[in-house]
Amino acid sequence: MSAAPTTRPTTQERTDMTTTTATRPTGPSRPARLRAAAGAEARLLVRNRTAVFNSVLMPLLLVAAVPALGIGGGEVGLGPTLLTAAVVISLVYLTYYNLVTTYVARREDLVLQRMRTGELSDGEVLAATAVPTLLVTVGQLVVVTAGVVALGEWSAPVQPLLVVVGVLAGLVLMVLLAIASTGFTRTAESAQITTLPIVLVSSALSGMFFPLSTLPEWLSGIARFLPVTPVVDLLHLGFSGTTWEGEPIGDVSVWTWAVFPAGVLVAWIVVAAVLARRGFRWAPRR
Amino acid sequence: MQTTAAAPSTAVPAIEVTDLRRSYGDFEAVRGIPFEVRPGEVFALLGVNGAGKTSALEVLEGLAAPGGGSVRIHGADPVRDRTAVRSRMGMLLQSSGLPGDLTVAETVRSWAGTLSAPRDADEAIAQVGLTGRADVRVRSLSGGERRRLDLALAVLGRPDVVVLDEPTTGLDPESRRQVWRLVQDMVDGGAAVVLTTHHLEEAEELADRVAILKAGRIVLSGTQEEIAETQPAVVRFTLDAGTPQPPVPTAVQVVSTGPRYEWHTRALQPVLAELLAWAAEHGVVLRYLQATAASLEQAFLAVAEGRVGEAA
Repeated sequence: MSAAPTTRPTTQERTDMTTTTATRPTGPSRPARLRAAAGAEARLLVRNRTAVFNSVLMPLLLVAAVPALGIGGGEVGLGPTLLTAAVVISLVYLTYYNLVTTYVARREDLVLQRMRTGELSDGEVLAATAVPTLLVTVGQLVVVTAGVVALGEWSAPVQPLLVVVGVLAGLVLMVLLAIASTGFTRTAESAQITTLPIVLVSSALSGMFFPLSTLPEWLSGIARFLPVTPVVDLLHLGFSGTTWEGEPIGDVSVWTWAVFPAGVLVAWIVVAAVLARRGFRWAPRR
Repeated sequence: MQTTAAAPSTAVPAIEVTDLRRSYGDFEAVRGIPFEVRPGEVFALLGVNGAGKTSALEVLEGLAAPGGGSVRIHGADPVRDRTAVRSRMGMLLQSSGLPGDLTVAETVRSWAGTLSAPRDADEAIAQVGLTGRADVRVRSLSGGERRRLDLALAVLGRPDVVVLDEPTTGLDPESRRQVWRLVQDMVDGGAAVVLTTHHLEEAEELADRVAILKAGRIVLSGTQEEIAETQPAVVRFTLDAGTPQPPVPTAVQVVSTGPRYEWHTRALQPVLAELLAWAAEHGVVLRYLQATAASLEQAFLAVAEGRVGEAA
């Protein structure tokens, strides 16, 4: 948090300020003021025990349960499976779910509306609220990666760029979906229900917990168009150069295989951005 | 009051509102209101609940776009030129939230970090009387303390345009005086202030000019004296049984007669002189004699009850 200047302006400065805009000090840079607002939000996160448990312990426990559940392994290997699981769990349970509840709680407490009364832009208000959650998400991924290395299960991704793109695009999508979901979420408690389509359905059918090829064809066809699936696809392709079916493919065609999930992901980002713009409210419904 | 009322009338208005309109669906909450506020001036918007005060302020604050007309803050549009406007504008919403898990000091410091020219945080906390509560979490503050913290945040950026929506609602008398002093300090520093209030004494204490709103329109506006003058003065007295009826002066509207008389008049002094002369001449005692000049409150009630402005 940046320290506030401690001196009062002199009478002369005061007069200048009332007459022209040009003499106003330029103030903190955008990153600095975002840091100030996000810092307050981070304090709030740390002081909220439920949020700490949900965002720090839960995802790690879930990831730790992955080998016990006998998921993955085999062709793909334990390391990439754990990392993919960490990405899906962090994006869905942490980024998405935590942001829906946080935005809705701040809206219903009239905090968002008050944050809009200052110099922060609307985008900065939304970003400041999201930053701590995004940092915890990234932290989770770092912890799991370190764990995988410690277990001796680390293998370098075949195509690192796809992994990075999958994670970043997934983050963007989850933030947008969270903002969109606040439109039909009245209270922080009701978020437990309104987030189920993503938290339960889309993540279950993402190909992370079981291969989509084990599903009836019509269902796996639908599953490929759900929002979390393309993230898993891109991670599989990036880590091990295998398709969602687990079939190895040549390095040359990895990019060709990536076109479809990347397209689905971009389409979802566009849809989520439109829904976010339409559905988001700054204040509770009167 | 008398000193700030002398704000130079030639000064460029800090706030200019022209034919402002705002609707919710079919309901027109604000129906074309104009006003201007100059630097060093306090303008109070009065009106019963639902008169359109908050709806109008939200447009000034740049939180809503006008349905029609325009608002200019130092010549700039509060929505389109938000960045420029906000660096010199402070606002207090009618109801607004503060995260409960931050302390008073943390709340003020983090807000200061987002502002161009923040005041010193400790000084700002002291000014609203919260120094002893600086390390207390907002959750544990009383309603009045929270409102004062809210106000400290509203003026933390040294604004020269200040919009306060019911700043003292729910405050105890001592806190209210503290808020008044703070507003007066800012006005003395050259700020233009718009406020809404339910407390007429607050408007009387602070406002240089007042507008009374009803159903989205300004029914009366001007200085307190000008508004009060729209209403008659009141003379009340009681006569014992058997006393002769006093002659009614020409400038009087009789509201009630014996034994409890109430006269309304726009010529208080001559009417009173006539009445007293009559009483002296006939040796009549005017019990409970009361002469009240017209007041802002009287005008406010007249508007609320529909006795003024129906023709508008």
